[in-house]
Amino acid sequence: MNWKLRAASLLLALSPLARAQSQWVLDQSTLSYHVSHPLHQSEGVSHAARGKGVCQAGHCDFLVAAPVKSFESGDSNRDLHMLQVTRGGQFPLVTVRFALPEAELASATIHCDLEIQFAGQTVQYKQVAFQRVAQGNQARISGIIPATLSDFKIDPPSLLGVAVKNEMPVRVEMTWHPQ
Amino acid sequence: MLRSALRNRPSAIPGLVVACLLVSLSPSLMAQAANAPGGGQPVAAPPANQAPPSLKDLGISPDQSQGSAADQSRLDRRSHMLKIHQRLGLITLAPLIATLVTSNSAAGRNSSTSGRELHGALGITTAGLYLTTAYFAIRAPKIAGTKSRGPIVLHKALACIHGPGMVLTPILGAMAYSQRNSGQKVHGIASAHSAVAAVTGVAYGAAMLSVMIKF
Repeated sequence: MNWKLRAASLLLALSPLARAQSQWVLDQSTLSYHVSHPLHQSEGVSHAARGKGVCQAGHCDFLVAAPVKSFESGDSNRDLHMLQVTRGGQFPLVTVRFALPEAELASATIHCDLEIQFAGQTVQYKQVAFQRVAQGNQARISGIIPATLSDFKIDPPSLLGVAVKNEMPVRVEMTWHPQ
Repeated sequence: MLRSALRNRPSAIPGLVVACLLVSLSPSLMAQAANAPGGGQPVAAPPANQAPPSLKDLGISPDQSQGSAADQSRLDRRSHMLKIHQRLGLITLAPLIATLVTSNSAAGRNSSTSGRELHGALGITTAGLYLTTAYFAIRAPKIAGTKSRGPIVLHKALACIHGPGMVLTPILGAMAYSQRNSGQKVHGIASAHSAVAAVTGVAYGAAMLSVMIKF
């Protein structure tokens, strides 16, 4: 009987190691794009992103997705036009994938290679820096993705014959918690 | 063979259990060791059995992730028609200003028949272009589930003023023109032509500014 007890204790002791796979879930998010026009500075904000991260054997894969139509700039006409130029009817989601070593999740600054699918294009951004602040068991991540309209082959919208600037930085603020 | 060995030596069972356990856990243990502080380089390459998260994991169904060419076509058509609306709206501004400028030669002491005819012709051009401009806004496809927000609300509200005004102004203008040409003084409802035109012009200008300037 003694060996059974020993085996059970060993199993219990080793169980955290057996749980090598961990998951992260996106709690809250604010994604905002910024476009500039001589007459307007506008910002479209979405809080509708969903995200998940899976870590296994020291490697983590993350996926974040948001409906393109969830971005609101306070002007419904502009939002619908944005939806049109970004081909949001045909490609209704913007998805961001990134992979990084699990050890990096504890760093104050996280550098990620992002793969973004948007407007029917897949674009990679290398070594985008995000700041990480721990809040209890949550991690608050913030940073700016240096996106441009031309990266995604988007024709710059124009007002009164003047096009918006090519730069379209996307500010990211996310709160993740381990599951 | 293993069964007979265990039958002969029951004391070997605990050792065998531990050995099996260690073998099964070894990949996890190695990964943990590699990530421990000072345990070497972090493992960046994904293990073969790891499935990255999918849209399904996020609760997004294929219906939600796949768009439709019809939806995109509707958006394209809407944008195209509103761009024409915008251009025609700007073009309409030119005869509208010209009509207001020539109003001095159509009424009052300095008025003349040619002045009234020029003013009338410009007014008709303005009204024609205006109605064409309005057509492209009215006929642009509506997108279901969209609630108007922002400057477009004011832009649409102002259309409730300049729309009837742009219909009424030429009618009153025609009445005034007829009264003047028959040697009468402009009277009755026709005398409101200038006031209605002024309100219409101001509302039209404000409607344009509402989508040009951020409040």
